[in-house]
Amino acid sequence: MPGTHVVDDIELIIEDIGGGGGNKPPAGDDHGGGDGDPHKRRKPAPTSPRRYQTAVVLAMLSIVMFFMALAVTFLVRKMGSDWVPVRLPFMVWVNTIVLLASSGTLELARRKQAAGDLKGFRRLWEVTTALGVLFLIGQVVAWRELVAKGFYVSTNPASSFFYIFTAAHGVHLMGGVGALLYVLFRNFANKPLTQSVAAEVTSHYWHFMDGLWLFLLALLYLGK
Amino acid sequence: MNLHSKWDVLRAALGGTVASGVPNDPRKTFMPDYDNGGDTTKAPHPGLPRLIFRRLTFRTDHKAIGLRYLWLALFSVFLGMIMSLVMRIHLVWPGAHLLLLSGLDNSPDRYAALTLLHGSLMVLMVLTAAPQAGFGNYLLPIQIGAREMAFPTLNLLAFWVTVASLVGVTTAFFFAPQAGLTLWIASIALFCVTALANALNFSVTTIDLRAKGMTLPRLPISVWAWFINAILSLLIFSILLAACVYLLADRILGTHIFSVPALLSSAAFNSPAVALPGLWQRLFWFFAQAQVYVAILPCFGIVTHLISTFSRKPVWVHRAVVLALCAAGLFGFCIWGQHTFASGLNPYSPLVFSLLASSLGLPASILLMSWFGTLWNGKVQLTTAMLFALGFVSLFLAGGLSGLFLARNDLTSTAVSDDFITGHFHLVMGIAATFAMLGALFFWFPKMFGRSLDERLGKIHFWITFVGVYCVFMPMHWLGLISHLHLSPEVMLTVATAATSAIRSLVTMATLVTIAAQAIFLANFVGSLLRRGEAVAKNPWRATTLEWSLPSPPPIGNFVGAAPVIYRSAYEFGAIANRAEDFASQTLKPDTESPSKPGGGGPSLQPLPPQAAAM
Repeated sequence: MPGTHVVDDIELIIEDIGGGGGNKPPAGDDHGGGDGDPHKRRKPAPTSPRRYQTAVVLAMLSIVMFFMALAVTFLVRKMGSDWVPVRLPFMVWVNTIVLLASSGTLELARRKQAAGDLKGFRRLWEVTTALGVLFLIGQVVAWRELVAKGFYVSTNPASSFFYIFTAAHGVHLMGGVGALLYVLFRNFANKPLTQSVAAEVTSHYWHFMDGLWLFLLALLYLGK
Repeated sequence: MNLHSKWDVLRAALGGTVASGVPNDPRKTFMPDYDNGGDTTKAPHPGLPRLIFRRLTFRTDHKAIGLRYLWLALFSVFLGMIMSLVMRIHLVWPGAHLLLLSGLDNSPDRYAALTLLHGSLMVLMVLTAAPQAGFGNYLLPIQIGAREMAFPTLNLLAFWVTVASLVGVTTAFFFAPQAGLTLWIASIALFCVTALANALNFSVTTIDLRAKGMTLPRLPISVWAWFINAILSLLIFSILLAACVYLLADRILGTHIFSVPALLSSAAFNSPAVALPGLWQRLFWFFAQAQVYVAILPCFGIVTHLISTFSRKPVWVHRAVVLALCAAGLFGFCIWGQHTFASGLNPYSPLVFSLLASSLGLPASILLMSWFGTLWNGKVQLTTAMLFALGFVSLFLAGGLSGLFLARNDLTSTAVSDDFITGHFHLVMGIAATFAMLGALFFWFPKMFGRSLDERLGKIHFWITFVGVYCVFMPMHWLGLISHLHLSPEVMLTVATAATSAIRSLVTMATLVTIAAQAIFLANFVGSLLRRGEAVAKNPWRATTLEWSLPSPPPIGNFVGAAPVIYRSAYEFGAIANRAEDFASQTLKPDTESPSKPGGGGPSLQPLPPQAAAM
């Protein structure tokens, strides 16, 4: 049995292709088990950046389901006898404009990137990130506006939904801001993920967040 | 000789030596993912305790994570089993002082809490985690010819959040009921997040990381099942997450999403709220409807895979099976729509319908047909893994037939009591899925640990468990029917009561025996892990899929060197041109004259291990 097994191993241990990690001496004298990969694998086989695009599409699908569940509950709960409509704070309209503007600057940034103007890309990308942060701050201001009017989370279902929707959207948007910052500060040299792919994936997500906000706003405004 | 079970890892890490043909780089023990290239450690010798710590916590290798999920599920399944034992004993001898039940404040809530804990451990940490996250994580990348999951770090993160969720669910039991429930819901929300992360990882991996030549028709059925299941999980766990968010808002922030304040004026601050269960139930059942499929879909895949391998025949009506799996996933959504019209707010009906659909729906019939078609005229090898796969088919069929009764709304509503439903869904969902998992464990154990489980012990364990679970869950059906009977005046109440208590005792005895029989499994499992020396061949079952072309256990990065190229479909068994063997590995070139090509696993293969061949 062992004899043939050795043959099996030889079949699979093929020459080292990586070699990138050669700055460390191999040290496998004691701890063993075959689970240590004997081959340096600094540069893995070229991986497809497609996975990031696929991931963002599937994630959006999942997020849509999440917000659909939130929205359906809103629509059902609205028929309850204790429903008291809440006037949307003025600030949300300002925020909406900020968010739409950020989508615009994002697209402009990507155009600069396509044209090869990396400096312009960076500047516009920074503007987008700033607008995104501004939107999040604006949402908090909107909350404070509502609190000042005496509408707390638990005041009535309508106000609860406003807080929950904006908070849920805000949390998802924070992920978007994180992605924007990632594109801005990540060193993309020698990485399977290039900056343009990262920017593209981020832009998909950002526009999606934009659309989602419009949907939630319409729901809150028309459904009150 | 590439042995590295956990024990080897520990033994080796503690200074022992393991026969290893290759020098080992300790850097690889730490985050060997694509992004950091493994250059995160400074010293080549990070020190043994730190090394062990890193190995156990930060390895992003999909196989290590898959194994960890399996350990987690193993822990949960035994915990859940002890709970069911406590519950059964309590039912027969209510006065007995029992662990967990009489511990804290002795309130009747404890029993309900125990049921909840048993259910959530079994459904989430075992039925959802083991077949999908455990076996899927370990095998899916290998079976499609990938080196890793698409997002290894996310994978690792998801695992640790699952652990946090398990800790939360378990500790919730020891809190006061209200605080405990809040903690429990938060833990479930955490579990939703990890399930979503896993689902994303699985589906992206399957879509984008397949090896060259691994076209969709060539995917093993198990991969199909994991993939479809991932897509389904991606959609339904976000629904449960949303429901949990609302529920937590109700409990923590004082909102009234699922309840209406009794009086609208703020003066009645302490008045109890009027619950709106309908809303919650709709959200919950939308999830739970499909959750049944999430638990059972990977099991379908595993069982199909095993039956084909051990019948030495290709999966019969392969394409129909794939379509049936897709349809099963789709059904998870469609049937829910029915409930809103048909059953309104009855909390049991959706469960009933879902189980009916999962067991008697069109997809299930196609799968059953395919399993029997594959077995037909096959050279069936009754290994333990195959026995468990066949046990799955039997339990699934039996559970499905009792589903027929439950489909009748008039029977379900009041007449058939909880016992019938308990028996039914344990049989079809819990036990059947557990059998599929055990089959998978016996099948892939040699690949995971480089040695095989003992076949004789495995068979003894199988037969006791198989008879045992029927003795536990079949009488539960009778219990349900008897409590239906004694509603009618002709039957003496006393007779019915006597019969009921006798059956209850029988069930409890059978539970005791069945759970005791699991000690055989544990002994086999631990014993096989600790046994030294004998290594199995890399393809002991003479199977075709990619994992069997790798050493056992496969190295980090799976396909070291060249990426595999796929030439064949996943189940090429039987007489094959120019082949002495009755199977062809997926990597074997079709025009190869001599079967001794690398990767083909031809003449160097071992026959079945002696224990396996004995039967």
